[in-house]
Amino acid sequence: MAAVDQDQLALGVQLRDDATWGNFLPLPGQAAVLAAIRAQLGESGEPVLFLHGGADAGKSHLLQAACLDADGQGLYLPLRELAAHRPEELLQGLESMPLLCLDDLQAVAGQRDWELALFHLFNRCRESGARWLASGRQPPRELALTLPDLESRLGWGPVFALAAPDDQRRQAILQHRARCRGLDMPQEVARYLVTHTSRALDRLLDLLDALDRRSLQAQRGLTIPFVRQILQEPELD
Amino acid sequence: MSADPVWQRCLDRLQDELPSQQFNTWIRPLQAESCDRGLTLHAPNRFIRDFVSDKFAGRIGELLRELQGHAGLEVNLEVGSARGRVRTEPVVARSAAAGKSEFPPAVSGMAVSGQAVDRQPVEPQQRTLRAVPPPSVARLRNEGEGGHDQHNLVDHYTFENFVEGKSNQLALAAARQVSENPGDAYNPLFLYGGVGLGKTHLMHAVGNALREQNPNAKVVYLHSERFVADMVKALQLNAINEFKRYYRSVDALLIDDIQFFAKKDRSQEEFFHTFNALLEGGQQMILTCDRYPKEIDGLEERLKSRFGWGLTVAVEPPELETRVAILMNKASQASVHLPPEAAFFIAQRVRSNVRELEGALKRVIASAHFTGKQIDIELIKESLKDLLALQDKQVSLDNIQRTVAEYYKIKVADLMSRRRSRSVARPRQMAMAMAKELTNHSLPEIGDSFGGRDHTTVLHACRKIKELRETNADIREDYKNLLRSLTT
Repeated sequence: MAAVDQDQLALGVQLRDDATWGNFLPLPGQAAVLAAIRAQLGESGEPVLFLHGGADAGKSHLLQAACLDADGQGLYLPLRELAAHRPEELLQGLESMPLLCLDDLQAVAGQRDWELALFHLFNRCRESGARWLASGRQPPRELALTLPDLESRLGWGPVFALAAPDDQRRQAILQHRARCRGLDMPQEVARYLVTHTSRALDRLLDLLDALDRRSLQAQRGLTIPFVRQILQEPELD
Repeated sequence: MSADPVWQRCLDRLQDELPSQQFNTWIRPLQAESCDRGLTLHAPNRFIRDFVSDKFAGRIGELLRELQGHAGLEVNLEVGSARGRVRTEPVVARSAAAGKSEFPPAVSGMAVSGQAVDRQPVEPQQRTLRAVPPPSVARLRNEGEGGHDQHNLVDHYTFENFVEGKSNQLALAAARQVSENPGDAYNPLFLYGGVGLGKTHLMHAVGNALREQNPNAKVVYLHSERFVADMVKALQLNAINEFKRYYRSVDALLIDDIQFFAKKDRSQEEFFHTFNALLEGGQQMILTCDRYPKEIDGLEERLKSRFGWGLTVAVEPPELETRVAILMNKASQASVHLPPEAAFFIAQRVRSNVRELEGALKRVIASAHFTGKQIDIELIKESLKDLLALQDKQVSLDNIQRTVAEYYKIKVADLMSRRRSRSVARPRQMAMAMAKELTNHSLPEIGDSFGGRDHTTVLHACRKIKELRETNADIREDYKNLLRSLTT
């Protein structure tokens, strides 16, 4: 288990930046999907919702935020990481959880045992009332599932497309996430990071984590020269 | 929600220490319950319990002892739910196989228990959850406690809200007949057809009607997988006789998706005997399947032939008018105003099955609710733009001709040609039937695109394929495959 970093303990002011509703910056037009997810555990919530989109579209963030918000009633299943396990054992009895957040369905599409186990879990969830918030790179009918029964069930509720953010939006996300950590990131720094490092959000957010730490340690604000200096540090690679 | 304040503080600490993904996957679902000498953590299944025991138990134990302030605090990890009642009846304790952890308690400093837990709630579950139905053995045991309510029927699947069309007329009539005369001539009633076409709805409708006529009727609906799981559990618990008694004591047994019995020999054997007993006793059975009984691979011949003893009816994909009616019906159930032209617009574009139709409508309703706009074609285009783009891309006459030619391994030029040999004529008829089903082109337009043929040729082709689909399994399969590859 990762114990808390001693440097951070000493400073004690670095704020957490987990996937929550508060630090998700929706694109225009995404309010409807957020509303549907947040209403899902309510009386008139949908039994099944499906989100699809490419990398960085925010699917995992939303699923984790929903899970966290469910206050112990949710379970987050990152299928990309769990795909190597035996699905019958992993999914057994999970219908007792009120909300199942199944991320990255494409990771198990085409694997017969996974598809069958998910299909059976779905049926058990229909009986128990457990709700599904699922995601995939593609919408259900394009996931290349071998079991049409599963495909049609995944598309039973509203299917929402999430668009990946453009560069400007990536900068805004970085700034927003920095603000959530209590860190001020000027626009030119955000632009510098997106254009000079990686466009991949997970990489950018890792960088943000490192910048946050170094800025606290050095007691310096984020400026381009400071960021450039940190980026040259070998351990950041 | 955790009732235990120490656990809540422990959760806060773990949330700080772990990446949110790990926290949400492994820690969040644990439910804590105070016990005599410490705390019991319930994991939803063995896998999660074992993983937590292996990876996190040490740290959890440390944190809890630190927070509680005494070193002697005992922490147990169990499979089950704190919302549920732990059953310690002998029937469960007898099980040698029931969830023992592979991780010795000493490794983690945390006791791991394999005690099976029945998740029947002792208090109503939060929000809208209903209880997970326990297996037959538990159902049998519950009967004395007023357990008649274990039917699993979905209340709103009734005949009244089933939308009738040409595609399901026969199945609906048969289902009504069965609900009026259960256990009579149509036993079993075998409904088959593709996914999302309403087989389950019809089955529940019969069940609900039977219970309406006789509230004490023991009507049991279950998915075939649950029958299998129940049987396995009964075998583990040495309770196979209870299992048999339970399933043979029902007034009507409704089993969904029996194709999943394929290759499960012991389940088939058990089901065969149940089937015979019910038939002899005049108790009604309704079975659904994704295909005609004879075509289920891995199913015993004697079962296949018995499935045909009653009435076997196909449920076909709904045609345009029925799709429109289904949409209007669903919208009115949701108290949403759906103008007919909007329903028509969706129905024309979403053709594969009712579930997808329902999903599309829900997506549109979500947009309408959120934006406060009325549902019109513009709103539909906006909210379904991905779905519509995909559909437009795929279902053109060209695409149909290419796909059909490829499927039958002939050239597109052959479809246009004057050749009339069976190897070309049949695929051509199939392609024409697909064009009629999947596009909005008129018969003359379709005829034109097949080398300038007359519209009556197209009409003949459509009729021929319809007829062959009823009598010829190969053609039926071809049609299904082509429809699927063109619409998915």
